[in-house]
Order: sequence, then structure tokens, then C-alpha cells
Amino acid sequence: MKRLLTAAALVALAACSREPNFDDRSQIGPDPVLPKPQQFLVPPIGVSKPQGWSGGRTPHVPAGYQIKALATGLANPRFIYTLPNGDILAVQAAPPSGEPVKRPKDIVFGMVLGSVHNYPGGRPPKSRITLIRDADGDGVPEIQQTLLDNLNSPFGVSWVDGMLYVANTDGVVAYPFTPGQTTLTAQPRVLTPLPAGPINHHWTKSLVASPDGSKLYATVGSNSNIVENGWDAERGRASVWEIDRKTGLSREFATGLRNANSPVFYPGTNDLYVVVNERDELGEHLVPDYMTSVRDGAFYGWPYSYYGQHLDPRVRPQNPALVAKAIPPDYALGSHVAPLGLAFYTGSLFPQFRGGAFVGEHGSWDRYSPYGYKVAFVPFSNGKPSGKALDFVTGFIDPGKDTVFGRPVGVALDRFGALLIADDVGNTVWRVTPANWKPGAVAQPPKA
Amino acid sequence: MADQIPGDEPVRTGRRGALDALHAVLGAFPVAYFTLAFITDIAYSRSTNLQWQYFSIWLIVAGLVMGGFAILFGGIEWLIRRPRAAHGYRWHALLTIAAWLLALLNAFVHSRDGWTAVVPQGLILSGVVALLMLLAAGMSAFRWGRDAR
Repeated sequence: MKRLLTAAALVALAACSREPNFDDRSQIGPDPVLPKPQQFLVPPIGVSKPQGWSGGRTPHVPAGYQIKALATGLANPRFIYTLPNGDILAVQAAPPSGEPVKRPKDIVFGMVLGSVHNYPGGRPPKSRITLIRDADGDGVPEIQQTLLDNLNSPFGVSWVDGMLYVANTDGVVAYPFTPGQTTLTAQPRVLTPLPAGPINHHWTKSLVASPDGSKLYATVGSNSNIVENGWDAERGRASVWEIDRKTGLSREFATGLRNANSPVFYPGTNDLYVVVNERDELGEHLVPDYMTSVRDGAFYGWPYSYYGQHLDPRVRPQNPALVAKAIPPDYALGSHVAPLGLAFYTGSLFPQFRGGAFVGEHGSWDRYSPYGYKVAFVPFSNGKPSGKALDFVTGFIDPGKDTVFGRPVGVALDRFGALLIADDVGNTVWRVTPANWKPGAVAQPPKA
Repeated sequence: MADQIPGDEPVRTGRRGALDALHAVLGAFPVAYFTLAFITDIAYSRSTNLQWQYFSIWLIVAGLVMGGFAILFGGIEWLIRRPRAAHGYRWHALLTIAAWLLALLNAFVHSRDGWTAVVPQGLILSGVVALLMLLAAGMSAFRWGRDAR
């Protein structure tokens, strides 16, 4: 009996080996190293205590730059958008409540992962959009006030031609709005509903307008890690939707993207890029999250496969015909870094970063030691990612990885070309400029 | 009560009888739940319909809770009776505890996402646990029957 027990335990534990010597840098770039998938009794979990910023502490930037809080006291800021007149919208969101419990695991995970945003002195999240105006660019806003309140878990926002489009978790709504307005009382029109509850696992719907303004692109995340909530729950999900701005008619533009966020067109092109959170619980080093351009009608693997034809052992029934068509993404960012923000640098303050991508990495839970928790920079050449990503803004987590001060989400540029970062644990919008930079002065390019 | 039927006298079992009854009633739950979990696992492995998998994990967790209480009361019984002939139930106790531990392992396996939550490790564990539980219950019933003679 004992022997049987030991044997069974060994069989189950055999798959649970750590890989301490794995080189994380090998999973950054177009062709990441992919170890064999593992299955666990308890998947890797590593979360640190959230604390927020205090005592003048800030994230770290390289020498030659400075970072300062542009706005504080926000309620879970997730996404930043700069209007044509330079006003900044900070989208804050409370996650939708009431996700049905299907398995005991849902209760346990809810407790473990739900705790990573709550700390004494932290603010309860609100679903609202705050308008921030720093017209003189000195980093101290003249106006910081609520523009829209009591929204339905919004994430994306985009302004086109007199209309402000807000991607709530259940659909895109449109408000008549002229930049310069500091209040907004008009009633919204529902442009297009998007898949939401009762199960609404990946609830962030982000949004961008096409360069000609005729179409909107909304991301819709999967409704599970790997279809454990059933196939019915995945209709219309794990995809990027194309929405006609005039009629609201919609279709799935690209599919197989588990949880895509921050769609952005590469400047001067019609190439649509997104950052994508890949699947969990296959190991610390699987599956690398990525940035990719998305093509019309293309399929990127989820749930059946990843990085082309690497099959996920957890999906039944399989779909070999679809897997054969799966396109590997352009650029891996590292396993479980949780990229949520993407902005191409088009400003003049950081000339050496022009044409490259800033990526807000919210940070991991499905690793033994936290990873991500930074803003990375991915160099581009000829409109394609090229070369290794580098860490640009760090210090969101302490070096011992015990305490999380903040977590970066959305990234954007203000009208001066400074980098803005939404921090949903620190409840802050951070602003990065060259050191000692003053608006109006000629920008001094910092040494790379 | 003038005409007492022979052999139908009320049996005096005392306080230990109450423990016996609690142990037996609670012990019936994991026997049923773990056996059903094996059946729902088979159903999932043949259909890939996730509803069967949800049945399995709730049955396993419920079996662990009720089985945990059954083991607790069984343990108390054993402590009280130890001086006497409780050793006849040694195999029942060992099999039950082994089944409970394997079911605990199985709950973690069943908390994976998708196919590998059941096939193959979950299905094997569910089968072994169901077999051990039925054996343990059978041994206990057999022993009880002998003791009653």
C-alpha cells in the first residue's frame, strides 16, 4: 500500500521540476526558446505584497532621464490617452464582479490573485475617466477632474472626428465630445456590443481607430486560461474585432490571440500591432507573452497551439486544420510578463527611441519569482521589431521581490513627447522626460 | 410488551454505538462520491464535455470533507476501543486513509485546466481511490458481520 502511494505521488510529482538556470533573455525576440510543457499539482505562483509608493519613492529610469508623478490619487488607472489638444485621459476600472464559481479552484485563485491589488491605504478601484490637463507641460496638472463616472469596467478610449469612443467591458459607446471640454454630460450611444458576462474572465477591451478614422479595432480577451470554462464561453473572444465607425457593424478581424491589448497602428502605416498575454500553468517559462502585428483573417494559435504549431496538451477536441494555419507572432517579450500597454515612440524628446515600442509589463504571477513589472523598450527598424528589448522604467518591485510599489499598465506619449505610464497599484500616472527638461526649451537628447 | 419476539430485543449499544453510527453514516459519503467521481471522469474522458469534469472535482472535494469527518470519528472510536479488539479493522483504516490521501492528490490534479485535469492521471487516481474505498467499505462490512455473530 505504501509503495503504491509513493509510486502515485512520484508519478504526479515527476512533472514538477524547476529550471533555475533557464535564460530568460532567450525568450525575448522573434524566435524564443520553448521548453517542454509541464503539468503541475500546484502551478508556479509568486506574488508579492502590494504597498504603493511612499516617502518620495519613484520608479527608476536610466541616467539622463527623470520620472515624476503627473497625477496621483487615482482609482486603478489602467490606460492613458492623449487627446489632440494635449489633454490626457486616465481610464480607471473596477473589474466586473460576480464571475460564477465553476470549480473550487476559482475560489482559491480568487483569494490568492485578488489580494495583489489591495493594501492598507490603497484606493478601491472605480470605473471612471479622469481628465488631466497640463497645458504648460511643467508636470503639474492645472486640472485633474472626473470626466465620466460609473462606467462599466472601461479600458480603451479613442477620439475621432467629434466623438469620444469608450470601450466598456460590454461594448463600445460613443459620446459627442470636443477636445478642450472638461466636463461631459451627453448621453452615450451604443456603437457595438462586445462579449461580456456572466463569465467575463479577460474583461479589458482596448480600442484604437484606423489611420483613416473609418474603422475601430477592439480587443476581446479569451474567457478562460485554456477553455476550462467551455467552448460556448469563447464565442467572439480571443480576437481583435473590427468595427465600422459609422454603422457599428463588426467582425472578427484576427483570432487566436488569447488576451490582446493596446492595439496601435505603427506610425505612418496600416500595420496594426497588439501585445498579447499568453496562456498560464504550462511552466514558468511557457508560454512567452508577445507583441505582434495582426493580419486580416489570420489565426494566432489560441487555444490549440502557441508560436505556430506547438500543441497545448490541455485542449480537446483538437483542431489540426486550424493549427496548420496558425501564425507565429512577431516578437516574444518573455514568459508571464503580462504586457498590457504599447506605444510607439513618435516624439522628439528621446530621439534614439524614435520608431521603437514602449511596452508596459504588468508583471507575472505564474512564476516562482516575479518577472516583468517594468516598461520595456523594443527597438524597431524598417517598421519591424529588431534587436533585444531593454528595460527602460524599472523599480516597480523591490530588488528582493517581496514588495510591489506599483504595476505599469498602459503607456502613452503626451503632446511634448514625454512617456506616460498608468500604474494601477500605485494609483499614479508617471511621466518620463529627459533629466532637467523644461517645456519650451530645446530638448537635449540624453546619452543612450 | 407481552409477546417479545426472540432475537428482537432492543440492543444496548451505549455511547460507542452513537460513534459507530456517525462513523458509518459519514463514511458512506466518500464511498459514494469517490465512486461517482470515477464514473464522471470516464464520462469526461469519452465526451470532453467539461460539465463532467466539474462534477468530478466537486465530488472529490465533497468526498474529502465528509471522508475527513468519517476518519476523525473513526479515529476517536479507535482511541476509545484500542484496548479491545479493534485491530480487526486495521485494513479498513489503512485503506481508507490511503484512499483519502490519494483523493487529496487527485483534487490537485483535477484543478488543472482542461483535458490533463482528468486524462490520464486524474482518471487513474479516481479509479484507484474508488477501488480502495469500496474495498475498505467491504472489509468493514464483512468484519462487522463477523463480530455480530
